[in-house]
This record gives sequence, C-alpha cells and structure tokens, in this order.
Amino acid sequence: MKNKLKVLRAERNWTQADLASALDVTRQTVNAIEKGKYDPSLPLAFKVAALFAMPIEQIFSYAEDA
Amino acid sequence: MSRNENGSTDLNTRINQSSVRLFLGTMGWVATTAVLAFGPKLWWEFDPSVTLIAIVLNLITGAIMLVAQYRHLMSMDELQKQTHLEAMAITLGVTAIVTVTYGNLEPAGVLADTRPTNILFVTGITYIVAVIVLWMRRTSE
Repeated sequence: MKNKLKVLRAERNWTQADLASALDVTRQTVNAIEKGKYDPSLPLAFKVAALFAMPIEQIFSYAEDA
Repeated sequence: MSRNENGSTDLNTRINQSSVRLFLGTMGWVATTAVLAFGPKLWWEFDPSVTLIAIVLNLITGAIMLVAQYRHLMSMDELQKQTHLEAMAITLGVTAIVTVTYGNLEPAGVLADTRPTNILFVTGITYIVAVIVLWMRRTSE
C-alpha cells in the first residue's frame, strides 16, 4: 500500500514524533508506515484521515508491489 | 498521568504501567517457583499440606503473570503488538521442534539426563531474538 503520510506531515511541519503522539502510536510505527514497511490497520488509517481532515483514499492507495 | 484528547492515557504511560505490572507478576511467579523448588527439602521437610499450598500459590502467581503479559500486549500500539505476536508464533514453532529433538536425545543415548525446564531457555532466547529482528526489519531508518 502507498501513502502520502510523509508529504502531509511535512506540509504541516510536524515531526514523526508529533504525528505519533497525535495518533497514539510509537514514532517507529509512523516511520514504518511512511516507508511502506507496515500497512496500518483500518482504524488507524481512519484516524490518520480524520487527523488530516481528508478522505482516506486521498492518503492511502492500494499498490500490489508496495 | 498524561492523557490524550480522548481522555485515555497515552501510549507511553500505558506501556510503562503494564510493564511494571508484568515485572511484579513475573517476580511473584519466580519467587513462588523458587519456594516450590527448594522449600520442600530446605524449609518444611516435605510436609504434603505445605507443599500443596506452595503448588497452588505457584499456579495462582503464574495466572497473574499470564494476565499481566496479556494486558501488556494489549497496551502496545499495533506495530508493537504485531511484532510480538509474530515473535510468539516463531517461538511456538521453534519450541515445538526443539522439544521433540531434545526429548529424543536421551533415548538415542546422546545425553544421559534431559530436563524439560531447559526448553524454557530456548523459548526465552528465541522470543527475544525474534522480537529484535522483526522490530529492526520494520523500523530501521
């Protein structure tokens, strides 16, 4: 799965730690999601969408090789 | 205690609290295990009623440790939780394989004396190594 987490975070000048704190996860989890090494659960993906006030499909997109 | 916008405690606070409970639960179990292992011979000269109490206490503290372990797992964030669950699956497989092989070493004449508790070392080491490797693979910068 691909995502725009890093771009959206950078646009707001948030650090990974800031985002992790807002999502109640570890900084390493944010890093793993940004790098495509971990796909978040549906509840966490919705939490991300709510935080950025965007539809979930604008942040996450399905990619078979990612 | 730090709380987030939803009024629930934050991740670090939850993990710290559950870690302390897990530590205390584990220490309680280790202590009652030591009492059960050495007590009959050293302290109460194999009195069956005292031994029975020691067995029950060992099982109860074991159950307390298990609940603490479960709650600790549930306090983690989803990547930590997945890492630990995968490590547990690997540990289960390794432990099963090693148990069968190790159990056959005495009948095969390779070892004179085998102890089932030795398997605990394999379980513990496998779990720790699996958690570290899985976590590093996913979170390396």
